[in-house]
Amino acid sequence: MYRVDYFAGVINTLVMIFVNIAIWKAIYEADDNLGGVQLKVVMTYIALAFLMQCIFVMEDYFIESKVTSGLISSDLLKPISFRAYVFSYNVGSSVFRVLMQLLPTLVISIFLFKLLPPFSTEMGILFFFSAVLGYLVLYCLNFIVWMSSFWFYYTFSLVTIKDALVMVLSGALIPLWFLPQWLFNFVKLTPFESIFFTPISIYLGQVPAADIKTAIIKQVAWIVVLALAGHLLWNAAKHKLVLQGG
Amino acid sequence: MSLIEVRDLTKDYRLNVKKRGLLGAVQSLLVPEYKLKRAVDNINFSIEKGEMVGFIGPNGAGKSTTVKMLTGILSPTSGSIMMGGLSPHKDRKKNASRIGAVFGQRTQLWWDLPVADTYDLLRYIYRIPEKKFEQNMEMFNDLLGIQEFMSQPVRQLSLGQRMRADIAAALLHDPEIVFFDEPTIGLDVVAKEKIREFIKKINAEKNTTMLFTTHDMLDIEKTCKRMIIIDQGTIIYNGTVEQIKERYGRSRTLVAEFAQKLDRIDLPAGVELIDQKDNKKYLKFNRDEIQVSGLIAELTSKYNILDLTVTEPEVEAIIREIYEGGIDFDKGISGDSKKSLSEQYCVPC
Repeated sequence: MYRVDYFAGVINTLVMIFVNIAIWKAIYEADDNLGGVQLKVVMTYIALAFLMQCIFVMEDYFIESKVTSGLISSDLLKPISFRAYVFSYNVGSSVFRVLMQLLPTLVISIFLFKLLPPFSTEMGILFFFSAVLGYLVLYCLNFIVWMSSFWFYYTFSLVTIKDALVMVLSGALIPLWFLPQWLFNFVKLTPFESIFFTPISIYLGQVPAADIKTAIIKQVAWIVVLALAGHLLWNAAKHKLVLQGG
Repeated sequence: MSLIEVRDLTKDYRLNVKKRGLLGAVQSLLVPEYKLKRAVDNINFSIEKGEMVGFIGPNGAGKSTTVKMLTGILSPTSGSIMMGGLSPHKDRKKNASRIGAVFGQRTQLWWDLPVADTYDLLRYIYRIPEKKFEQNMEMFNDLLGIQEFMSQPVRQLSLGQRMRADIAAALLHDPEIVFFDEPTIGLDVVAKEKIREFIKKINAEKNTTMLFTTHDMLDIEKTCKRMIIIDQGTIIYNGTVEQIKERYGRSRTLVAEFAQKLDRIDLPAGVELIDQKDNKKYLKFNRDEIQVSGLIAELTSKYNILDLTVTEPEVEAIIREIYEGGIDFDKGISGDSKKSLSEQYCVPC
């Protein structure tokens, strides 16, 4: 079972990159310098976005299933922090995916899609750092959605809305510079930009060196704000908890 | 100061009132209606270190809610709980490292992992020193025979094996207080007895405080000295198991086997013939009014009797009568939850 899942994950990412690149190629055939960005930059952007997505996968129904089944009581009976437990669970499976899915997909992508190297070594290192922050922003955002299961029990709709917003607004599917200006300006005020767009832009050298610091501080600020909101929700949830099933 | 102190503990639940039918479902969705349910109503009790206490009551009486508050999973609406100086809800993690819990209905073990891996994980979670871990594993193996299924995944265990594995898991870190929720449910008589023996042994050896919630009165009778009965969120009895028998189990049944079948017999006043089978007659009387020795002497002088046995009612029968409202509680003896009378009956085992 695990083996099937593993190969399916690798193939899925490759297919998604391939399809999206094919779409952008078709668009570029009509206009070969869209918005002043070269096709190979967009191709690298798309490949990176999907590679990151295959690691940024988190268990959206982990908390919900524990709350609705009442099994959360077994976790609360143990002298461990529930939040640390959920976090390590997600980080653990992400680390597993880095080793088992990202590395092979990355190697294939480099040959198949002619991935550009980072703009400079320094940008490469900053990209890595910013990608970790992006992961944390997404985690903190997800945590808020997950915590809502203490009130709503079923969070499928909320999770779906969240996924759609992240897909469109965080630059996971479309480089944000292609969005209409007013929408791009709006996204800059939200945490979504910090998830995929900021790290990938740094990798591609699209962020002026002077603005990188601001971009990273913005990511950290969003982590702090969202984590604080998650913390308040958790405190409220502890009193709200009603155990299902005896 | 007792190990567990519960003062004026109350827990309210907000229940969503669902109307019937399609129209009602739409109505509940748009204009939700809530009803407040008081699951635990202002209860007081205390438990000393090393005591084994049975927590009983009909379904929905509030005992699980109380236990969940004691373990820190649920927060009380009002009132206070002190477990060895800690508030279980505020210091959940610290409290959790000192308690253990066994739920007969659901396992605490990792479903897909071999039993041995669960114990290894617990060793890290509870930070159990290597030496203590090995000592305890050895002891559990001797008493519960867990070695025979150590390498099997939990989902493949039989109920009896799973229960033994669960109990060992709950006691691995030498908890000061252990909660047993229906620890013998669904087990056969031999397995039940084994588990009771084990629990008693642990209590005697490690002086562990234990709380039982169960519907199996034999569990309580065989392990606990004290019993707390909860009904509709309030404590209706808090005292020894002996005392409840003494107070409410006054009736006795004398089973007499006569040499020949008798159509009718002369009985002294107060003795009632409740049943007869072949040559046997079942006579019920109140122990306070009639002396057994007198009754036997009277019968043997009149009739030729082959065999005699006297039985007292089982606790289960008394409890059944209490639930059904057949026994009116004398507030002087039962722990009246409104006052702190419960302390009167804190009899350490």
